[in-house]
Amino acid sequence: MTSNLSRIGFGLAPLVALLLLWQAASAAGLFPPQVLVAPADVVAALLAMWRNGELVAHLSISLTRLLIGFGLGAAAGLAFGTALALSRLAEALFGPLFQALRQVPVLAFLPMLVLLLGIEERFKIVVVAIAAFFPVALAAFDGVRGVPRSHFEVAKLYRTPLLPFLGRILLPAATPPVLTGLRIGLTRAWLVLIACELLAAGSGIGQMMEMARQLFRIDVVLAGVFVSGLIGFLLDRGVKLIERRTLRWKAA
Amino acid sequence: MRAHRHPAARVALGLLIPILLLALWQAQAEVGGARALAFVPLASIAAAFAELAASGQLLTDAVTTTSRALTGLVLGASAGVLLGIAMGLFRSVDRLIGPLYHAIRQVPLLGWLPLIGLWVGNGEAAKLLIVGLAAFYPTVLNTYEGIVHAERRNTDVGALFGFSRAQLLRHVLLPGALPLILTGLSQAIAFAWIATIGTELLLGAGAGLGATMSLAQAQQRMDVILVAIAITGLIGFTLNTLFARLRGHLLRWQPAIA
Repeated sequence: MTSNLSRIGFGLAPLVALLLLWQAASAAGLFPPQVLVAPADVVAALLAMWRNGELVAHLSISLTRLLIGFGLGAAAGLAFGTALALSRLAEALFGPLFQALRQVPVLAFLPMLVLLLGIEERFKIVVVAIAAFFPVALAAFDGVRGVPRSHFEVAKLYRTPLLPFLGRILLPAATPPVLTGLRIGLTRAWLVLIACELLAAGSGIGQMMEMARQLFRIDVVLAGVFVSGLIGFLLDRGVKLIERRTLRWKAA
Repeated sequence: MRAHRHPAARVALGLLIPILLLALWQAQAEVGGARALAFVPLASIAAAFAELAASGQLLTDAVTTTSRALTGLVLGASAGVLLGIAMGLFRSVDRLIGPLYHAIRQVPLLGWLPLIGLWVGNGEAAKLLIVGLAAFYPTVLNTYEGIVHAERRNTDVGALFGFSRAQLLRHVLLPGALPLILTGLSQAIAFAWIATIGTELLLGAGAGLGATMSLAQAQQRMDVILVAIAITGLIGFTLNTLFARLRGHLLRWQPAIA
């Protein structure tokens, strides 16, 4: 426990030192304030936005978009990937199209989707869903394909109905790669959402940063960088925790 | 019975859904009205392709975007390999830079754009910074892992020969880390390509596939957008495939490539 704590302390020391250096350099007037403001000013901006509710409003809108879009995209990806892995016919029908579309960066679909859907809420949710769909579908496909042949044979022998088969045999076996896919999908979804909000939005963390850039409020821009990084970190860490929890039985 | 096992049948099946979707698209286009603005007829997509190709704009865009991606890739990946080696070799560098690297990496890549915009403007420098950063992250991580997880028996042999640190790096550590470094580079290529398109879209000015798409969006030219999307996917695919070939070639001495 103590060694763990001291390791974290060692890890944080350079970061803290850098922050102190940055603060000292700003206090000494080394950078003009339109280039870099002191960390204390960024914290002050964060606190002010927290108190007047602005930060909470932007954050909750961004996270709602992320949650709905990711939920839809991941669910579709799971179903699609599983279907493709289970049915050779489905794979033959949809596999080539999926592989072709996968080559295009999701961001490249933004202009097309703006023309199709406008720039309202619907647009952002669809973009986030697409970003989540591809890695999750791929992981589900690989996960289900990776289930040993013998599992299927046993299920066939016992005439296991489809639902128990999916829930009790396929799901546990395919969970590890699928969780990794979900984690990648969540990170991508967050990245793409920030890009969408920078491009066209009336609210959200990305829009907050873009607005601050136009107003030359570097403290707010830095606060946005910090918050978006923190959210990205927490999302990634959260899924990793779930991965570790669910895979405990495997290590034994 | 098992028609989809036959190679020719597989191709036909694979084409079935895309053709169906194209037919649906065309049907939407023929409904006309407001729909026709978004669902442009297939013929006008082909016409847009011919027009862009004939005027040379398509080639200019493709070359601009590709060379931008490759420039950022070379800058970011070489910095990444160097830092990865330094972090792998020296504990002090790892302790000092490691936490900073992991903290910075958490920020969604394009989330840096407003800040970079304030610092260096919206020009080429801003784009190259983001593309370079995209290539930098995976190369640092993979190079570091490759150096740190060098096989013990190999480094022991190096110690037996009385290798200096430089010799150990050159003859033992780097060859051992090569597979992982190449993995990092292949991720870097994919990320750099995504970042290039993203920055061109968001800082839409000048030449490039992303900028052309951004302009076409403002002009509601769906046909131009679709041509640019197809070319974007094609170039990305080509870059990834070429590198995978190169990687296989460089690692042909390995008994089994993971």
